[in-house]
Amino acid sequence: MAGVETMKVLVANRGEIAARVFKTLREIGVPSVAVHSTVDREAAHLDLADEVALLEGADGYLDGAALIAAARAKGATAVHPGYGFLSQSAEFALACEAAGLVFIGPTAEAMRLLGDKRVSRRTAEECGIPVIPGASVCETSDDAARAADRVGWPVLLKAVGGGGGKGMRLVEREADLDEAFAAAQREAGAAFSDPRLLVEKYIAPARHVEVQILGDGCSAVALGERECSLQRRYQKVIEEGPSPGIGATTRAALLDDAARLAKRAGYRSAGTVEFLVGPDGAHYFLEVNTRLQVEHPVTEMITGLDIVAAQVAIARGGALPAPPAPRGHAIEARLNAEDPHRGFMPSAGPVLMLEWPARPWLRIDAGVREGGEVRPEYDSLIAKIITWGSDREQARRRLVEGLRATTLLGVATNQAFLIQVLESDMFRRGETYTATLEKTAWPEPEVPAAAVVAARRALAAPAGAGTGDAGPADRHSPWAIPDNAGRLRP
Amino acid sequence: MTFVHVEHEGRRLRLSVARTARGVWVGWPGGSRFFGPERAESAAGPGAPAEVRAPMTGRVVKVAVAPGQAVTTDDLLLILQAMKMEYRLTAPRDGVIERVFCAEGEMVDLGATLVALTPAPAEAGAPRGTAAAGGEGGGGAA
Repeated sequence: MAGVETMKVLVANRGEIAARVFKTLREIGVPSVAVHSTVDREAAHLDLADEVALLEGADGYLDGAALIAAARAKGATAVHPGYGFLSQSAEFALACEAAGLVFIGPTAEAMRLLGDKRVSRRTAEECGIPVIPGASVCETSDDAARAADRVGWPVLLKAVGGGGGKGMRLVEREADLDEAFAAAQREAGAAFSDPRLLVEKYIAPARHVEVQILGDGCSAVALGERECSLQRRYQKVIEEGPSPGIGATTRAALLDDAARLAKRAGYRSAGTVEFLVGPDGAHYFLEVNTRLQVEHPVTEMITGLDIVAAQVAIARGGALPAPPAPRGHAIEARLNAEDPHRGFMPSAGPVLMLEWPARPWLRIDAGVREGGEVRPEYDSLIAKIITWGSDREQARRRLVEGLRATTLLGVATNQAFLIQVLESDMFRRGETYTATLEKTAWPEPEVPAAAVVAARRALAAPAGAGTGDAGPADRHSPWAIPDNAGRLRP
Repeated sequence: MTFVHVEHEGRRLRLSVARTARGVWVGWPGGSRFFGPERAESAAGPGAPAEVRAPMTGRVVKVAVAPGQAVTTDDLLLILQAMKMEYRLTAPRDGVIERVFCAEGEMVDLGATLVALTPAPAEAGAPRGTAAAGGEGGGGAA
C-alpha cells in the first residue's frame, strides 16, 4: 500500500470527472498525472494535473496497457479510473495491481460479484434483499414469452452484459415480443459483444433511488440516498438527495440493504446500490455500480464528505469515515451538449463563450473551458451544476437561478430544458418517476425577441467587425431594441 | 464575442453574442441559440434551391442521395454521427437533389450546407420553416 509520502495518482479519464478528481488530489497534497488521447491535447482536465501523458493508440482512454505504461513512465503509484471507460473493468483493476499500481476502486473480485447483473442479483437475494420478479436469461423469444407469462406483462428486456439503455426494450404485450427481442439482441450484441437478454417484470410508476456506499474491504457504510428518476434514454438528467418520494421506513430499509450487500461482497472504495421504488413504496434491488458515479456531488453536498478523498484514504489503508448525518437538500443538473427539442441530438463544437455563476451554495464540476471544445468522440456531458439548500425548494430555486446565470455559446445545450423541468409543477411537487421526462411534452421555449434582433444585427454587420458593445442601456445605441421587437420571431 | 445589454419594454436584458464563420450564437438568461444567415429565398423567388444544413458538428457516415435524384419529403438524405449517436437528415420537401457538398467520412461543422435541393414544380413556392439550422425536418437520433 502506497504511503502518504510516496503516493502519486494517474487519473485514467477525461472531462469533468478527471478535473474533479484532480481538485481533491491537489487539496490533499497528492501529486497527479493526467492522460489524454490524441484529439484531447488541449482538453481542460489537463490544466489541473501536475504531469501529463499522451495515450497514442486509437483506443485512447480504453487502452489499459497504454494507461499502465503511462503510469509507470511517470512514476505513479496508483490509478483512479473515474467513471465510464475502464472504471468497471475487473481485468484493468487486476492489470494495475499486477503492475504494482494501487487501483483506487473495488477489488476485481468485488467487481465480478457485484458488477455482473445476474451474480449481483443472486448475492442480493442471498442477503434477503428484494429483487424484481423475473430476470431469467432467455436464449429465444419463446423463453422470454414463458418468463413474461410467469411474472406478468408488461416486461422489460435487458442486456445481460451492460447498461445505459442499450439492448433494453419495454414490451407491453406478447404480440410485440418477437420484434423487440430481436432488436434488443442486436443492440446488446453490438454494444457489449454479448447478445444474451434478461426478462424482468416492468414496475411503473417507479422511482430510481440509489444509495451511496463506502467500504474498506471488511466494513461498509451507507452515506444516504439519491433520487435519479428523471432520465431520458436511460440517462439521468436531474438528481437529488434526499429523495422527495420515500418515507423514513423505506429510507432506513434502503440504507440497511445497501450496507449489508456491500459488507457481504467485502466491498472496498465508493460504489452505488441502485433500487427501484414502486408505487406502493416497495423497493427492489436493481444493480450495483462499482465505481464513483456522475451524481456523487449530491451526496457530498448534503454530507460535507469528499468521496474522492475518502477513496484515496481507503486506498492508503485508512479507516472508513463515520457516516455524517445528511443536512438540507441538494439537486444536480447535468448540462449536456444536446438539443432536447430535436431528439436530444448531440452537439459538438467550439466553446466560444463560457461564464459560470459563483455562489456560496452552488458547485460547478466542468470539463470544458472557454476556447476549448466539446469533442464529438466522447459523451455529451459538459458540466454538472449542483446547489444546496436548507430545504428542497431553496435548492431548486438556487439551481434555476444558477442555470439562468450560466452563459455557454458554441454548442447547443439543454440549459433551457433543465430550467423548464425544474420549474414544472411535476418537479415542484416531487412527482418524479423514471418515465416522467419522456412522457411529458416539453414545448420548445420561446427565443426572446431581443435575442432575435441581436442575431439579425450581428449577421448584418460585416464579418470581423465585431458585435459592438452598447454599454449600459444606451437608448441611442444600435443595441437598444425597438418596441415592435416583440412581434419578431426567429 | 461579447456581452451586450439591451432594453426591451423597460426590462434590461444581458445577451451574449458570438459570431462564427457560418452564423451567430446568441445567449440570454437561461438559454442560447444558433442563428444562420438570413435566408434570401423570398427574394430569390419560388423555385430557388433549398439548402439542407448540418444541424450539428459531426461526421457524415452515410450519403444516401446523389445529384439528379428525385426525393420526397422525409426521404433519407444522409446520416450524421456524433457522440456515438446517429442523426438522420431527411428531405424537408419534395424535390430533386441539385448538389451534395459532403462525402462519407467527412467532418462537417454546424451550419455547413450539405445538400442543395431544387423543389419539385408542384411544391414551388410552398412555405418552409425559417429555422436557422435548416434541414432538421423529421429526423431523430437513430
